[in-house]
This record gives sequence, C-alpha cells and structure tokens, in this order.
Amino acid sequence: MDNEVFTTLVGFLLLILLLLFFLPGRGLFSKWKRALLDSKRVRIEDALKHLYDCEYNNTGCSLDSISGNLSLKRDEAAGLIQKLQSLGLVSLGRDKIELTGEGRNYALRIIRVHRLWERYLADETSIHASEWHERAEDVEHILSAEQADELAAQIGNPLTDPHGDPIPSSEGKMPVKQGVPITQFCVNDHVKIIHLEDEPKTIFAQLVAEGLYVGQHLRIIEISEERVKFEVDDEVIVLAPIIAANISVVKFDETNRVRRNLKKLSELKVGDGGLVVGISNLIRGQQRRRLLDLGVVPGTKIKAEIQSLGGDPTGYRIRGATIAIRKKQASQIFIKEINE
Amino acid sequence: MKNYTDITNRANELRWEIGESFHDSIIESIYSEAAAISSNTVKTSKNKDSYSFDAKIDKILTSKALGFPIMFVLLALVFWVTIVGSNYPSSLIAELLLDNVHPWLKQISSDIGLSYFVDGILIDGAYLAMAWVVAVMLPPMAIFFPIFTLLEDFGYLPRVSFNMDFLFRKAGAHGKQALTMAMGFGCNAAGVVAARVIDSPRERLLAIITNNFSLCNGRWPTQILIATIFIGSVVPVHFAGLATAAAVVAVALLGIILSLVVSWTLSKSILKGEASAFSLELPPYRPPRILQTLYTSLIDRTLFVLWRAIVFALPAGIVIWLVANINIQGISLAEYFIDWANPLGLLIGLNGVILLAYIIAIPANEIVIPTVLMLTVMTARLSGIGEGAGVMFELDSIKDTTTILQAGGWTTLTGINLMLFSLLHNPCSTTIYTIYKETKSVKWTAVATFLPLIMGFTVCFIVAHLYRLIS
Amino acid sequence: MNNWNLNNKQMEQCVNCPVHNIDNLVKLGINMSNFDYVIALAGNPNTGKSTIFNNLTGLKQHTGNWPGKTVARAEGGFVYNNNNYKLVDLPGTYSLLSTSTDEDIARNFILFGKPDVTIIVVDSTRLERNLNLVLQILEITDRAILALNLMDELKRNNMSIDLRQLARELGIPVVPMEARQKKGMDELLKYVDEVSSGKFICKPRRLKSLSPKIDNAVNELSKKIKEQLPNLPNTRWVAMRLLEGDQQIIDALNSGEIGNLEPSLKHAEEPV
Repeated sequence: MDNEVFTTLVGFLLLILLLLFFLPGRGLFSKWKRALLDSKRVRIEDALKHLYDCEYNNTGCSLDSISGNLSLKRDEAAGLIQKLQSLGLVSLGRDKIELTGEGRNYALRIIRVHRLWERYLADETSIHASEWHERAEDVEHILSAEQADELAAQIGNPLTDPHGDPIPSSEGKMPVKQGVPITQFCVNDHVKIIHLEDEPKTIFAQLVAEGLYVGQHLRIIEISEERVKFEVDDEVIVLAPIIAANISVVKFDETNRVRRNLKKLSELKVGDGGLVVGISNLIRGQQRRRLLDLGVVPGTKIKAEIQSLGGDPTGYRIRGATIAIRKKQASQIFIKEINE
Repeated sequence: MKNYTDITNRANELRWEIGESFHDSIIESIYSEAAAISSNTVKTSKNKDSYSFDAKIDKILTSKALGFPIMFVLLALVFWVTIVGSNYPSSLIAELLLDNVHPWLKQISSDIGLSYFVDGILIDGAYLAMAWVVAVMLPPMAIFFPIFTLLEDFGYLPRVSFNMDFLFRKAGAHGKQALTMAMGFGCNAAGVVAARVIDSPRERLLAIITNNFSLCNGRWPTQILIATIFIGSVVPVHFAGLATAAAVVAVALLGIILSLVVSWTLSKSILKGEASAFSLELPPYRPPRILQTLYTSLIDRTLFVLWRAIVFALPAGIVIWLVANINIQGISLAEYFIDWANPLGLLIGLNGVILLAYIIAIPANEIVIPTVLMLTVMTARLSGIGEGAGVMFELDSIKDTTTILQAGGWTTLTGINLMLFSLLHNPCSTTIYTIYKETKSVKWTAVATFLPLIMGFTVCFIVAHLYRLIS
Repeated sequence: MNNWNLNNKQMEQCVNCPVHNIDNLVKLGINMSNFDYVIALAGNPNTGKSTIFNNLTGLKQHTGNWPGKTVARAEGGFVYNNNNYKLVDLPGTYSLLSTSTDEDIARNFILFGKPDVTIIVVDSTRLERNLNLVLQILEITDRAILALNLMDELKRNNMSIDLRQLARELGIPVVPMEARQKKGMDELLKYVDEVSSGKFICKPRRLKSLSPKIDNAVNELSKKIKEQLPNLPNTRWVAMRLLEGDQQIIDALNSGEIGNLEPSLKHAEEPV
C-alpha cells in the first residue's frame, strides 16, 4: 500500500517536471533556447534600431534615451556607444549621436526583419496581436537577410507591418514618413489611421482594446488638453491626449466613403438583406482573401439566409451561393441596410 | 539577356503610391464586372421562387426541434446498418480465409515439404495477418463508406458541419471536423484523408491529429469483448448487457470529448503558428447517383485503405510469428520482452502481453486481440488452446476467452485499462503513414503518433493507482 | 532568301500549330509524348470538373458534392478527330490571385504551360460567383471555352441564362452542359477542336472597370513591359501581378521565363 502511494507520487512529480520543462514561452526549454541568442549582438542591434527610430521621427537621440530604451545603466550605455563607434556604425557629434551609412543599413535590415515578422504573424498565424511585437523582437536577431527576403516573397512582399509602419525594401529603401499624431487635427476633420505606435506596450494594448486598427476612418469630435474624442464605426471613443498621441493619421479626402450609419453584418437578421460597404482591416491574410474570393467586396448584396443550430455561424446568400460565416468575422464586415 | 530592373523598380514605387488596398480593389473590380455580366444574362422566372426546395430542406435540417434528432438518428442508422450488415459477410470471409483457405494452405505446404520456418512465416504469419485484416476490415468499410458518400453527395454533410460548428469553434477547430471524426469511426486513415476538405491549415492539422480519438472500426470489437468480460460480469446478470453497452459508449464519448479538449489545447499552444480562416459553402442539394457512388467509394476509400492495411499487415504477421518462434535457450523473444515489460505494464494497470501486442500489432487494431490471446496462451503455458506459437486465433466462446485471460492474470483493472488504452494509443501504422502523406511533415506525424500514446500511459497510470487505492 | 521562305512558311503553319509551351509542360511534370494538344480543365470547386474529366477520359475519379475533391492534379488523354489530346484537371479554386498551393498550381499551368485550350467549368446556378475565376483566367490566356455546367439544376430552380449574350460578353464559346447526364459533350469537343486548331479565334474580355488610380499604374507599367516584350499577349496581367508584389512573377520576369512566353519571338529564332 505504501509502495502504491509512493509510485503514484513519483509519477505525478515526473509529469509536473515534464510540464515545467516544456511549458511554451516560460518553460526551461524555451528559456534555454532564448539564452542561445548572442546577447552582445542583440544589444548592438537594439541600439541601432533605437537610433534609427529617432532619426526617422526627427527626435534627437541621447545617451539617456538609449539607456532608457534598452534599460541599461548610463555607463553601460556609454560603453555600448563606444563599441558602436569603434565598429563604424555611429558617429558622435558634439551633442548628438548619428548613424553612419553603414549603421543605417544595418538598422534597416533589423527593422525589415522585425516588421516582416510582425506582418507574417498577423497574416499567416493565429497568434494574438499582443504577442507580435515581443516575438518579432526575438526573431529580428535570428533571421538573416536572405531568409527575410524569402519570407517577404512568401507573404507577397507586403508594404507595411500590421501597425501601419512601412517595411524597408531589401535594398534598404524606406518611404518618407507620413501621418501626424491625431492630436494635431481639428474638430470635424475626417481622418484615417495609418499607424498605431506599438511602444510602450501598455498604451498599444489600450488602443487595441478600444478596437482601433490601421485603416479605420475617424471623425474628430473634440480635442482639448483633457481629452480627445472621436467617432469611429458609429462608436464614440474618448482617450487621454497622451494616449491619443500614439495614433498617427492622415486627412481623408474621399468623403463619399466615410463610413457612417453602418451596421455590422452580424447584426443582420435572418431574411434581411444588406449591401457590403467594407471589410475591416482586422480581417487579414488568408481569411480576408477567402472572403474576397467568395465575393464579399464593397457593393455586394448580401442576405442572411439561414442560421445554424448553435446560432453561429450564419449562412449568407452571396452572389448566388450560400456561404457560412462566423459571427466573429461577420462583426468585422460593414454593411448598409437595404429594403427590397 | 534583357534587363527588367527598371520595370520592377517602377513597380515598387507604384506600389507605394497605390497602397495596400490593391488586392481588395482588383477583386472589387472583377466582381462588379461579374455582377454586370450576370445581370445581363441570368433571368429568374418571376412567378416562381428559385431555391424553394433547398430552402425548405434547410429549414427542417436547421430547425431547433428537428435538426439534432435527424442528425443523431441518421448517424445512428449509419452505424447500425454498418454493424449489423457487416456481421454476416465478416463471418463468411473469416470462415473462408481462416477456416478453409488457411488449413488448405497448410496442407499444400506440408505436401510439398516446406520447412517449418518458411511455412510459419508465410502461412501462419503473413497470410493469417492479412486474412484477419481483410475479414474484419472489409465488410464494415464497404458498407460504411458508400452510405457516408451518398449523404455527402446529397449535400447533407455540409449541413452537419454547419450545425456542429459552434462546438468545434470553441475548441479552435472547424465544423467540418465533425465529419472527419465521424469518418474516423469507420477508419482513422480515411478520416485523415477526409480532412482535405478543411481548407484552413490550422483546423486541418487539428482534424488530422485528433482523428485517432475517434474509436475506429478495428477497435469496436476489442471494446465490446473486453467490456462483456470485465464490466458485464461484475454487475447482476440481467444488467450485464446494459452495463457492457454503457461502458463501450462511455469510452467512445470520452474519445469525442478528448478530441475536443486536445483540439482546444493544441490550437492554443503548438498550433498557434498556423493560419486559420473559416469559410463553409453550403452547396445546393443534388440527387445522389447511387451506382456511381458505390463504385467510386469502393475504389477510392475502401480498397485504398484496405490496400494500405494489407501492405502493413504482411510484414507485421511475419514479425508476430518470428517473435513467438525464435527461441534463445528455450525461451522465445516474445517471452523475454513480456518478462521485461511486465513491471511497466503492471504499473499502468496493463501487462507485458498487452504492451507487446500493441507494438507488434501496429498495422491494424483488428489483430490486437488475436495477438493478445496467442501471447497469453504462450506465456501462461496453457495447452490445448490455440494453434501453436505465433498463430493468432480468436475463440467463439466468451467463456473460453475469459478463462484464458484470467489464466494470464487479468483483473477488472486490466480490462478497464485495456479499454482506455485501446482508445488512447498511437494510431495504427496505416494511419501514421497516411498522416505523413497528408501533412508531409515528420513533426506533425510525430505529434499525432506520440501524443495519444503519452496520454494513454498517463491516464492508465492514474486510473491504475486510483483503482488500487480504492480497492 | 531561302531563309525568308522558311520563316514565312513557319509563321503560316503557326496559325494552327499547337501553342502550348512544351519545355515548360515537361518541367511541370506532364508527359507530352504523342500528344498534339494540351487541354486544361479549370473551375471553382464543386462545379463538376471531375465529372467532365471522367466523361472525356473514361477515368473514374471520385466526384463529390464537396468543395475541394481534386487535391493533386489529375491527367488523362483522349482522341477526337484524329488528334491526340492531353487533358489536365487543375485543382478547383475560387481565384488565381491569392496565395495557396492549389491556386499556384492552376495559375502556373495556365501561364507557363500555355495550354491550347482552357476549359473553364462553371456552376450555372452560381454564375456570378464563378465569373470571378473566369475573368481572371481570361486575363492570362486567349484560348478558353466556358462549360456552363449543371444546366438541369438551373432549370430546376426556375432560372435561365442567355447563352449568346454571355458568349458575346466574354468573347469565348459558351457550351451549356449537364455533365452528369453526359449532355453537351459533343458541342464541347467541337469547340475544343476549333479553338485548339485555331479555327475559332477567341476575343476574351479583359477587365475594364479598374479604379482610376490603379488603372493608371497598370497602364504605365504595362507600357513599359510592352517596350521590352512587344509580343507578350498579357502584359496588363503581368503588370497587375508586379503591382501586387507577386515574387514568382517578378522572378519569372527577371529570369526571362516571361519573355519566353512571347509567341512569335520563339518562332523567329528557330530557323536560324
């Protein structure tokens, strides 16, 4: 009897140990894999990325910003910069740190991998948005330029990452920066989101939680020092200016297509019809292509025809065929109601 | 050679000017032209409603009152017809191949004077394994697949996926997995092939990896036999039948639940990296063509799967015979292994015989019980039962089978755990090979092979210890 | 002088000589010995492609009421009017523009294999949805036939299609069919013969309603391509693929594979 209890305990212990070892993300196995990364090189590359960001956004870079961004002590950061200088990647001016041509190319290569990987995760995997950035932070130090080119070709040479940031070309070309923070616009302006800053993470998570995404059309209702208020897809969102400043937008001129008084396809009752106005950019990759191929494009007449026993999915009549779409996707398809 | 770089460079510049909406916009243009052409050419008669027939059927099949009952009745009917309908042909084939052809072959071999080894390897080993697989596998598959295919051709199965999707969605899977699962109850290899209809990578892999949790045709007889002997016998006689049936259904339901749980776990862990896209077309109902369907499903599914099974059964039959007949110092290889594996087997509530049987009977679950019986008789040194070392057999009498198993030291725990292990172990080699063919990935094949095995060991281990603690 | 004659004669013959690209076909895994013409069978999933394939070749592929039965590519052969035809059943797809293995197989076969005829099988009850693929195929190839299948289902649902109008709109022959009852096969074969031998010249419809911004870009780029490859029949399509960032087409352009698809370029070089 005692023997039985003993073997049972040993068995359970073994199982728990196995679990600890292989737990995805936090297990010893994945920790060991991460430790294989060359930490010195990672620091250099992170510093170059930060310097490039400063250059692209026209904000000056300093020792403090580097030590803050990479969470290093000041003297460590200084050592790092010296190292960069000795490698010929940066040049030190009187009060600023600048990238050399070589340093810029290096930085662009890292940024290309990072953004491509984020795009890949967004389009081709089921990994949640909140994990993209962190995973790309690891991968950017691993993938070679050739592998990055292969990846780009595979996913159709995308132009931007899922946050709307442009992906540098393999030759290191980058388009001119577009878009300004939403806080610089006026009341009643119609604007389109072109970028959501993904750092700091907490702010990005809040923007995602509000349901904001690149490509969305907004109408600004109020801009003050206390708050920024705007209307989007028939919802009103209020943000603190410091958070709203992380949304970059461009003025939107195609006024005829500003989405107002729209319904979601998921709100359509069985037997009712509508006209598709657009698919939100949150539907990406294969799912988006599939819907487009089946004929869910602006201008398509769509009719809710039949509901499944479980209530979801719903079968819609689309261009002569009956296609079942799940509620999750249907709530990202915008329609105008029509009365036949 | 011409240089096209200025073209590609210009294309890249233009891409930035147009932006990312290019693909959407092109499809939009194509569809607007398609709509124009279609409205110029397609005429719908005004007074009659098109698709009224389809709409009526759909209304019934998705109605709250009738939808599920119809589905369950139809599925139950398919299984009932399969089980009842295959009984007779199965025994007929068994009689022919095992009781008539086998002695006849033995006779010929002794007439022409084949050596003991050649005779054993070819006739008692390879031929017998092949014959067994054919006898048990062919009739149910030849009945199950055509009926299934008819329902598919009529257009009913997509409606089943549509209705069942809510359950699978919660597990991160696709409603069509309901069909691959149902197919798996016939044969896991066929279920794996059927996963082709799922066009989303993640959901397709889920359907393939978890198909083994559908109790296949080859495992039902094991379940029923063991449940009769070990579950039916511990309850009062007039409840025996009920208890047996309940135990078997419970194992099958456990399989369904586990396949959903495992789907959920995989979709949240190792399969997160696969793309997921849902779409399901509900095709119009079409009258099925019975003769063509019978022909093609026989060729495409039944014979296809059977052939693969035979190819794997032949060498396995030889191995089974050899391990029972190669002796070192008077003890066969099988006995060595069984002695060695017995402690592990007992630790998880099984025994060495069962472990060895599951290793050497990997080509088909159908030959697990015959192998178990043969090995038990051999190791327990029973005389007068069976047909000699390495010759698989089954007994018509449940009582005799019980006697053999009890002589082999089996308890109720062994019975329960064998039922669980029969549900939770590696797929048969035919299925493993098919999984590799379908996924073209060693990684996913390994996951599909070892995951259920690990689960089986874990579950049996826990059950064994709980059982021993209680009793 | 002699050379010129030969050249002229070659050009004459080529009005009705096979257009398929034999090198690429062999590369794509097609055994082309003893075949005069190559026919591709394309279409949406679940439209009866495999039934037509079986009717023509006598093979028995399983055809089911499920999208996506033909996963690999099937091929077979048949004889009509003393000509040997190779028939290739492409995977059923909704589109050729997205990125999936099936679509790549179908697209590459039509583009690089240059089949003498592409039979596009459509479900007549779902014409509008099916036209998406039809219009995309017509951007790539000049030689196509529309097989309007499941006409019995159309009638059962009280609908009809103006066949002549449809043929006019698309610029290719339209054949009404009920493949399951083997109806319409004769007319299909007749058009296969006429289009493959060059007796019937298709004038396929090309997209006209692109948005102005995209149309300008496509025009500019296709003009640039035309300067380099004046005889390429589908420059606008190539331009669209480049604008979509399709690496396969970019690579094919750079490696000269796209250039090899120019018809007369090849024949002009041969006599030398």
